Amino acid sequence: MADKKTGVYICTDCEIGENVNMEKVMEYIDEECSPAVLKQVPFLCGKEGVAQIQSDVDNEGINRVCVAACSPRVMWDVFDFGPEVVVDRANIRELAVWSFKDPGLPESEEDEMSDPLTMMVRDYIKMSVAKLERKTKPEAEPLELDKTIMVLGGGFTGLTAALDAAETGYDVVLVEKESSLGGFAAKLYKQTPTKPPYEQAETPVINELISRVEGNDKIKVMTKTSLQLIKGAPGKFKATVKQGDEEQVLSIGSVILATGWKPYDAKKLDSLGYGKIKNVVTNVELEQLAKEGKLNRPSDGQPILSAAFIQCAGQRDPEHLPYCSSVCCMGSLKQAGYVREQNDEAKAYIFYKDMRTPGVYESYYRAAQDDPGIFLTKAEIQEVTEGENGKVLVKVTDSLLGEDFEVEVDLLVLATGMVPTIADEPVLKLGYRLGEQIPDLDLFDGFADSNYICFPYETRRTGIYAAGCVRQPMSMSTAKDDAAGAALKSIQCLESINRGVSVHPRSGDPGYPKFNMVRCTQCKRCTEECPFGALDDDEKGTPEPNTTRCRRCGTCMGACPERVISFDDYSVSMLNEMIGSIQVPEDEEEGGYRMLVLVCENDAYPALDMAAMRKNKWSSYVRFIPIRCLGSVNTQWIAEAMSKGMDGVLLLGCKYGDDYQCHFIKGSELCNKRMDNIGETLERLQVEAERVQQKQVSIDEYDKIPKIIDDFIEQIEGFGPNPYKGF
Amino acid sequence: MATRLEPNVQFIREMQAAGGESLKKCYQCATCSVVCPLSPEEAPFPRKEMIWAQWGLKDKLVNDIDIWLCHNCGECSDNCPRGAKPADLLSALRNMAYKSLARPAIIGQWMSSAKYLPILFAIPAVLFLIVWAVSTGLKIPEGTVIFAKVFPTLAAIDPIFILTSLFVVFTFATSIGKMLSSFKEAGLTPKEDAPGFLKSFVGVIKDEIINHRKFKECQSNKDRYPGHLLVFYGFVALAIVTGIVAFFYWTNKLFGFGMTTPLSLLNPVKILANVGGIALIVGLVYLTRTRLNADPKKAVNSYYDWYLIGVIWFVAVTGFLAQILRLADAAAPAYTIYYLHLVSVFMLFAYLPWSKLAHLVYRTVALAYARQIGRKGLNE
Repeated sequence: MADKKTGVYICTDCEIGENVNMEKVMEYIDEECSPAVLKQVPFLCGKEGVAQIQSDVDNEGINRVCVAACSPRVMWDVFDFGPEVVVDRANIRELAVWSFKDPGLPESEEDEMSDPLTMMVRDYIKMSVAKLERKTKPEAEPLELDKTIMVLGGGFTGLTAALDAAETGYDVVLVEKESSLGGFAAKLYKQTPTKPPYEQAETPVINELISRVEGNDKIKVMTKTSLQLIKGAPGKFKATVKQGDEEQVLSIGSVILATGWKPYDAKKLDSLGYGKIKNVVTNVELEQLAKEGKLNRPSDGQPILSAAFIQCAGQRDPEHLPYCSSVCCMGSLKQAGYVREQNDEAKAYIFYKDMRTPGVYESYYRAAQDDPGIFLTKAEIQEVTEGENGKVLVKVTDSLLGEDFEVEVDLLVLATGMVPTIADEPVLKLGYRLGEQIPDLDLFDGFADSNYICFPYETRRTGIYAAGCVRQPMSMSTAKDDAAGAALKSIQCLESINRGVSVHPRSGDPGYPKFNMVRCTQCKRCTEECPFGALDDDEKGTPEPNTTRCRRCGTCMGACPERVISFDDYSVSMLNEMIGSIQVPEDEEEGGYRMLVLVCENDAYPALDMAAMRKNKWSSYVRFIPIRCLGSVNTQWIAEAMSKGMDGVLLLGCKYGDDYQCHFIKGSELCNKRMDNIGETLERLQVEAERVQQKQVSIDEYDKIPKIIDDFIEQIEGFGPNPYKGF
Repeated sequence: MATRLEPNVQFIREMQAAGGESLKKCYQCATCSVVCPLSPEEAPFPRKEMIWAQWGLKDKLVNDIDIWLCHNCGECSDNCPRGAKPADLLSALRNMAYKSLARPAIIGQWMSSAKYLPILFAIPAVLFLIVWAVSTGLKIPEGTVIFAKVFPTLAAIDPIFILTSLFVVFTFATSIGKMLSSFKEAGLTPKEDAPGFLKSFVGVIKDEIINHRKFKECQSNKDRYPGHLLVFYGFVALAIVTGIVAFFYWTNKLFGFGMTTPLSLLNPVKILANVGGIALIVGLVYLTRTRLNADPKKAVNSYYDWYLIGVIWFVAVTGFLAQILRLADAAAPAYTIYYLHLVSVFMLFAYLPWSKLAHLVYRTVALAYARQIGRKGLNE
């Protein structure tokens, strides 16, 4: 690459020009940074403004452009000057002019000082130039890869996903451990309605789906096959499968996890009579009886003239499954129909906590409710006992009938819930340094789910996408959409890594972490802290990067005490330079305090922008630096800021914990742990630990930003200036 | 020991057939009981009746006094978000009570469906045809039209209607007994400090029936109030007329003073009769119109509703026509119409305990009993 030649362009519109002492800014930047070109341009994002920059790029050989104007989150498509030109945006509009609150400082007599807003603008531009000095354009490393998609599980979701992927043009291997395809869908006597008017149970459609899959020559179906091991990384997975006694290794690009669910162990429901009373069965067992045409009392084969259904049996119950399996209400309405179709005088009781038949399924509920032989009520079950002659007595309380009562039935059906297949056993069998299982499944009650709003289908292992009931309890209609979603995600993965770019959430990012192994001390922090298990290691503990597993969050970079990990466009030294570019007044009474705020660019930075756009104001003592994730915060940055005499450091990032919002799952949590260590170090240096703080903010909490910042400043002012200022 | 519930699927179908066809649609939101202007605070109707009905709990429903506290204004059905028509269910339950309370049960059976209407018509038709055959050999008598020529009061009309009245009174006596014991079976017993039955009964007539107070509280079906009031007072007027005429017929017979029919049009009694008749017809117009205009999504008219309205129309129209034809001296049509009038009056009175009109008795008794057990609406 040619020598770096920087141009700085300062926009004077959007209230910038009229509030900032432009002359002083120009003078300062020229002196401090000596860019090849320095211009103030009105309406910089307009045609003429952009043309000016383009002309300098073309004629002056400018290849580093600092756009000092609005937030990088707006006009993001305007300032693009081709692949050779690196652009950085100094956000002097939102972060300075629009959010500026005059601290009312006395006018300084010193030369290098200026009014607080002008100083702030100068800092942001200088930081940007420093960043440009360190930043290079990352180059993607395209990969030769195998584009075969492996679908695990041949149930309804797996079949649908396989078909979706195949019909989009991808080769698919469908792995099913049982001898036939279809999963639970093939074990249904009838299925709940899928088409208007949604009032009648339907003949299952699974056979048609199976034959379409079997007839598709892009899909290789492997039944009676178990997965033994998945090694490698997206685009170059090696999956060992065992069919009978024969093992083979398949080259796989990405994986769709559709292994579904298994019924909750009803033996744990002996309080509801299961295992103790013969005529107590689960909903899954009843379905099987109906499918086999043997819908009679298990005890003596007599016809069933009455049946009771207990909904949420072992569900929505902290003792059992804490969640709702979402399909049992529909299932019991359907199965009540099985009992009713046997005999016109037969009775079916359904005792529920809540009848959950959302959306169009309301029609099915209505239709079932209309049947004179179906009796519905909310109720709490008091007791289940055995009556005379094989009958089951169900005693209930808190019902809609306004009294405690009991019914005597031939059969009691427990609507037990779904347990994801992945909850207890590592279905995926990953040959990863961090284990064969997807981590932290307990956050989602064992389901292979992720934050459903932002990242559906994405597991914590890149290239592996979950769909259907292994991801969340769901009906077949939802599973159909889920299968399509996961298929598209697995395709997105292949079509990103083949170009050498990141899949998600930094979709299209060509950069990747580079390891300077010469200085690595094999401390394994990067390996262990990577939320995505991207790093394996050798016997000595030297990390072995797997670029296609990586999501480019920089958590490894933040973790590394030796600072051997960096990106072309994001590094410890780059931020150190930026921090070093901030002008810290020697006397806080004249120039005020200085605080560094490291802002997560995923949610906190947009919140900041929104706050400024809504004309919220906050202290002018803060300087913001956007970062990829709090997980990438290296303690070196804190040290740099404090040693420069800054009075405090605030870290603004996503929520962590059970309802985490971190885009990289663990980043803000890890950062919080590191900050604890920082606090200890500060106290050893006789500096208040509270000078470094982490705050959680979600994207919609922009209104809380001014208070967070001002409270922090107030606290720091209470401590007084950094005692090391000026050293 | 918890109550054992045994739903009766057949009973559900019966309720649906008797007018409560939408009862299964209820999802127990309780909007009905909230909007009902008459429902008591404790165990309000018609919400509990809806779930009992959905569960086919016959024992609870046949002993339920609340079906009589309901005045069928339709507020609940109008506001029901599910189209479950609670008002229709209570109406159906009353229809079923008419059918099951009074004996012989066969009449209840005949009254429950249009297919038995020929039988109900045939009984008085044959009876009065026999009277006609005996009196004049089915011929139209000569001279001024005097209905007694064909249907002699002493020999035929009075014995027939006196016997019919006794039959009706006796039937009601037994069925009221049955109804009250069913209330007791449901655990509804008069409070210790309760007023006596007669006092309660008079109270009901005085405070509720005379002024139609409860009808006025209805918002959704305002036209029913004047309609029902006019029909009610039309009947009261006609009953007074019938009483006066009968009384003076017998004083005339026994003591030689009184009056003979037909009366002059200017006779105050005749004026009262015609005013009553007109009130009846105007009221009928109101009630028929509200029935015909009812939104089928909110209310369905049962056979019991149409039978009663139909028979009252039959009585009113034949009564007026007979009078007009008599005054016009059109002998043949006059006698024929009067014959039909007698048939219609018989159909109204002889079958009263099994018809919707029986609410006149059952509701009044139930309201009196409700006072004794202290079951009051929110606004009482």
